Amino acid sequence: MRCGIDLGSRSVKVVVMAADTQQLAAATVYETATFYREYGHRTDRGLAVDFAALGLPAVAQLTATGYGRNTINIVGATVIPELKAHMLGAIAQTGLTDFTLLDLGGQDSKVIKVRNSRMVDFQTNDKCAASTGRYLENMATVLGIGLAELADYSEQPVELSATCAIFGESELIGRIVEGFSVAELAAGVNYTIYKRIKPMLNALKSDIIVFTGGVALGGAIQQFITREMGLEVVVPAHPQLNGAIGCAVYK
Amino acid sequence: MARIGITTTVPVEIILAAGHTPVDLNNIFITSPDAGRMVETAEEAGYPRNICGWIKGLYAVVVNKELNAGFGGIDKVIAVTQGDCSNTHALMETYELAGVETIPFAYPFDRDYDLLKLQMEKLMDVLGTDWAAVNAVKKQLDKLRLQVAEIDRLTWQANTVNGFNNHLYQVSCSDFNSDAGVFAQDVDRFLTVAGNACEYAEELRLGYIGVPPIFTDLYPYLETMGARVVFNEVQRQFAMPFATADLVEQYRLYTYPYGVFGRIKDIEAEIERRNLDGIIHYVQSFCFRQIEDMILRQKLAVPILTIEGDNPGRLDARTRLRLDSFLEMLR
Repeated sequence: MRCGIDLGSRSVKVVVMAADTQQLAAATVYETATFYREYGHRTDRGLAVDFAALGLPAVAQLTATGYGRNTINIVGATVIPELKAHMLGAIAQTGLTDFTLLDLGGQDSKVIKVRNSRMVDFQTNDKCAASTGRYLENMATVLGIGLAELADYSEQPVELSATCAIFGESELIGRIVEGFSVAELAAGVNYTIYKRIKPMLNALKSDIIVFTGGVALGGAIQQFITREMGLEVVVPAHPQLNGAIGCAVYK
Repeated sequence: MARIGITTTVPVEIILAAGHTPVDLNNIFITSPDAGRMVETAEEAGYPRNICGWIKGLYAVVVNKELNAGFGGIDKVIAVTQGDCSNTHALMETYELAGVETIPFAYPFDRDYDLLKLQMEKLMDVLGTDWAAVNAVKKQLDKLRLQVAEIDRLTWQANTVNGFNNHLYQVSCSDFNSDAGVFAQDVDRFLTVAGNACEYAEELRLGYIGVPPIFTDLYPYLETMGARVVFNEVQRQFAMPFATADLVEQYRLYTYPYGVFGRIKDIEAEIERRNLDGIIHYVQSFCFRQIEDMILRQKLAVPILTIEGDNPGRLDARTRLRLDSFLEMLR
């Protein structure tokens, strides 16, 4: 058995996988701060994780990725760069070798161009998280609906500028006052994400887009990419676990 | 003799010929332990948050007496109003508001020989010198420039100089560290050491393009990751390794203040000559040169990583993540 850990900004994903069949034996998503508080403690050699407390099957190999290779060092783990983990996860989950990976996580947006199973170019967001899960969470709270419901609306989006994950809230409230429906407002929120990632996707385009990260659990962004850019979007079986799966399949 | 601040590379030969001391404000700012404080000082004075950190540093270095007393202060500033940074216009105006004398200098966008010569002659008039004195200084500096070009050659061909020292010696040629004599001795000493040093063995050979980084640890970080910068584009331009007897021609061959396509020709030639695996394009937050990234990406045939810096300091976790992934991609 192999274990892969993806230490994200909003959640920590842990998977255990059979080395030969690549079948998932266990998969859990923890809230990041809770994970560190309850299962980790600092040591001289880095972050020690209490695997017994996690209740995982015994593993022969532990690979982790996370927020910058040198920022978090898990004791006993091979640490691999985050973009590599995501690319490996996408290849393992889809069997594709030429595609563009779009990963929208808690705070990060990544677009990676993959050719012959190799990363040939990439872009990531910087100093702004207004196209990520955290932004969607804020907007869902303002609209008073669940994250899963919000992420599915794609019809008749309301125009929003969303220059910031926080200022987006007051803009959205202004639109509520104008009397738009929740469906239109939610679609508008999703459309701001699409507008932000579109230039990155255009720059690193492939015929097939593999869409991963927590945001891929909703259908709206996928709809916009297919409808407006005419690209095929593949969402693998476990979009949110993609980075952790990439770690688990790393040799 | 005045201490004359410069906001970027200008014909330093003219300042020296007039008997003045050139002081590159960028170098004073970035090497100061108070660099972060300088940016804050400028913001406290009213500089917007979303303006380049270099500009704010250049403002504070000159205007803040408490910060500039440590290096002898500045009497007047030559500000490049065309061919470097569009924000320098307003920087000049805020200098003037603070009572600092400024002298404008403009590189003609189309590299017009006569216009550039006219700009140089106007500068000579303002500072009080003539062509005979300027050309005499040029001859002395040409020798020094050749030696700095040798440091560059040792970097990419003999592989005995690291990326940071390559950056440092070339970038210092904007003002020759305010004392060309002392700088020449330093260069001599360095060449002796570098000539006998062991070869670096990093497997990845990188080019660095764009303005010098506001990050303080970029070069050593890359080296810990098994990569080495063997081409510093703009710094090499500051050092002007162009053999020409005509000073106007020398500043025409200098690519940085003119259009991006001249820079691209130079970069392409060096990619080939220095056998580069990839390029790091550094862009300063809120700089108009960020737009040129799309042209560079389209025109250059090697993998490019674009990184962005805002305020002075060490590399942040996000930038390290990008650098790691880029080097991984090149392997």
